[in-house]
Amino acid sequence: MESSDEVRLAVPAMPEFLRLARVTASGLASRLGFSFDEVEDLRLAIDELCYSLIGRGRAGTVQLRYVVLPEALEVEGRGEFDGGGPQPVLTELSERILDALVDEHDLSADGDGPRFRLLKRRSG
Amino acid sequence: MPFDPEERAELKRKFVEFAETRDASVRDQLIEAHLGLAEYLARRFSNRGEPLDDLVQVASVGLVKAVDRFDPERAVEFSTYATHTIVGELKRHFRDKGWAVRAPRRMQELYLRLGKLVASLSQEIGRSPTIPELATEAGVTEEEVLEAMEAGQAYRFASLDAPAPGGDDDNESLGAHMGEDDPGLAGAEDRAALSPLIATLAPREQMILHLRFFEGLTQSEIAERLDISQMHVSRLLARSLAQLREAAEQ
Repeated sequence: MESSDEVRLAVPAMPEFLRLARVTASGLASRLGFSFDEVEDLRLAIDELCYSLIGRGRAGTVQLRYVVLPEALEVEGRGEFDGGGPQPVLTELSERILDALVDEHDLSADGDGPRFRLLKRRSG
Repeated sequence: MPFDPEERAELKRKFVEFAETRDASVRDQLIEAHLGLAEYLARRFSNRGEPLDDLVQVASVGLVKAVDRFDPERAVEFSTYATHTIVGELKRHFRDKGWAVRAPRRMQELYLRLGKLVASLSQEIGRSPTIPELATEAGVTEEEVLEAMEAGQAYRFASLDAPAPGGDDDNESLGAHMGEDDPGLAGAEDRAALSPLIATLAPREQMILHLRFFEGLTQSEIAERLDISQMHVSRLLARSLAQLREAAEQ
């Protein structure tokens, strides 16, 4: 049977809460049998994308959604900030870094605010 | 800083007023009213070798940010909101100064032990171990391994003079690992042209970034190539990325 488990988390949009976003991701990745290296990559990627949403911290929350797929972990993050703010952009370097860390990533913004999505597959 | 109900209602009113008018004198009053909170929090960080006056300054910067960003419409008390902002500012101060905000000692020790286990297990099984494999080998739970990895993250911001966890000698300082005359670093300057930000990093860190993100080596492969532990690579990578983010925001 194909399983698809989903976990949701909402944290204040401040750097000190990103720990929870990382721990949740690594907990799920560990369940999926990701290797130590892969878990580390995932944690760095979550940091990179979350920081691109919140910078040094914003008033508001980051809503995270983790989907456990059979061979991969998908993470979506959405910034719900008070009073708009700058559009998030990934520097060329960030793009490069994320390319190396995860299989798919995307950062965008619409009327509801900025959002990202990443997918990391388990190797082997 | 406990206010009586009357004061609290008054402050609430002022926050609403400030949200509407952004009036500078109202802002000053709000900041002044909460300086006690900034001082109280600064005091909690004062046993780490920094003069209290400086910490109060840092905390006050956090307070000003909190007043500017606070939205009175939200169902959260200003003091709660401001505490997060101020503590964040204080932690950043220590981090920028190269002081680690301490992770529990037990977790730091486990992190150091894991570093060695990752290396030996990788050798043994020919790939990076899974978290359960590490947990079994270390005789701890999976949660403890994950917690220790987080503790390592806090540790990554440690001073250059701090012991380098996962190094061959735990008393060896990180500075010693970043010698300028490493032949493997030849050409690092050229690569730095990729981004002026990268150029601000130490040569070894530039090298690691390059190998990981531009040549696609895994952390373990980099560890092997540079003859340092995988944990060390991981720590340097996270620290470099944090530095780049900071620099990008300046």
